[in-house]
Amino acid sequence: MEDKFRLNKPHNLKGTLVCVEGIDGSGKSTQLVILRDWLKSLKQDVIFTEWNSSDLISQTTKAAKKKNLLSPRTFSLLHAVDFADRLEQIIIPALKAGFIVLADRYVYTAFARDVARGVDKDWIRKVYGFAVRPDLTLYFRVTEDVSLERICANRAPKFYEAGMDLKISSDPYESYKIFQKRVNDEYKKMVDEYGLVEIDANESIHKKQVFFREQIKSVLALKGIEL
Amino acid sequence: MTAYKSKHGYEGLLVVIEGTDGSGKSTQISKLKRWIEDQSYGAMVSEWKTSKFIADAINDAKERNLLNATTFSLLYAADFADRLEQVIIPALKAGFVVILDRYIYTAYVRDVVRGHDIEWLKNLYNYAPEPDMVFYLDVPVEILLKRIIGTTGLDYWESGRDIGLSSDFYESFRIYQDKCIAEYQKMKQEYNFISIDGTLSEKEIHKKIISHVKDILEV
Repeated sequence: MEDKFRLNKPHNLKGTLVCVEGIDGSGKSTQLVILRDWLKSLKQDVIFTEWNSSDLISQTTKAAKKKNLLSPRTFSLLHAVDFADRLEQIIIPALKAGFIVLADRYVYTAFARDVARGVDKDWIRKVYGFAVRPDLTLYFRVTEDVSLERICANRAPKFYEAGMDLKISSDPYESYKIFQKRVNDEYKKMVDEYGLVEIDANESIHKKQVFFREQIKSVLALKGIEL
Repeated sequence: MTAYKSKHGYEGLLVVIEGTDGSGKSTQISKLKRWIEDQSYGAMVSEWKTSKFIADAINDAKERNLLNATTFSLLYAADFADRLEQVIIPALKAGFVVILDRYIYTAYVRDVVRGHDIEWLKNLYNYAPEPDMVFYLDVPVEILLKRIIGTTGLDYWESGRDIGLSSDFYESFRIYQDKCIAEYQKMKQEYNFISIDGTLSEKEIHKKIISHVKDILEV
């Protein structure tokens, strides 16, 4: 049964799907933007897509978050709706047209966060079984403490990013660390499971970008594209 | 509820009425609710696609014609998860007889007709409690057509127009409902549906339903 899921086998679409993953404050979005601009300067066809950003449902999800109304499973399904919408409207058409698709967070975000919220691991993987398997996924590894420092330098952690819905601790800073550690633990397990490429987020912006470019070059080379 | 032990382990009972649009579910549900209350039990009804937050998003997306087969399926699943956790399970815990106007079988039928894999769907809904009884109101498509045309008229989604079966409204409805009925028939055995001839009179159908409900409700 596993085999029939698209997520578990390489896609044979013309384009290339590259994803970045990691907890907040890992610098992954910055890296992706720098990479995008570089690829564009090389006249590559590039598009960019972000987690929870579809027209269809992201407003509903945001409104529900504000009111703290939904259970982990319902949230999980709403994020899946958002993802399915972007997959079919943006990602797959672009891959068919031969684009390099850069995704800021992909299904692994759902696997990490939802499981950290107590959703069944096997259930969530099957729910997202229709996803296209990425050609390259970079996992930006940063500790919970560093993440907290970067994200919450000027503000308190937000309700959901701190996992306050789980009622682990009434202190948002404490809760943030415990929750994000759980998320990180799930990511670490996926390094082997899905072949995520780990990168130490404490490295300089330059070093990380050099590594990222090497990775994408070798993935594109396999498809006969030399940068 | 002494002799009978519920299939899901909650104190209450879960009774499902399934059938295509126009099969007479709503009429039978209100009659059944009334009858259960007359036996001094608490009864409540929960309908498909009625969660507070998500139902509006579904209606909006349908209106703007934004849905594909996967988002359609997942949005309904989100609606179901929300309603199950906020409405159905609390009522079951409190000992109510919960009468459900459509259940996961509706999702199976509609989504399989839209091309989804049944194993994917079963996983999607694998946390849903097993109902104590499932009634299926069996009505041939010709009679459904007359009932729908005579009342609400042909709806875009109920006619499966999103899957492009036919550009003709009438024809599209017939083909779509035919496919749905075929999927219901396939599930009858697997899920122990009690199939009732939906062309009988309201009164006769009601009598049949309560004769079965009496088996699980002490009256």
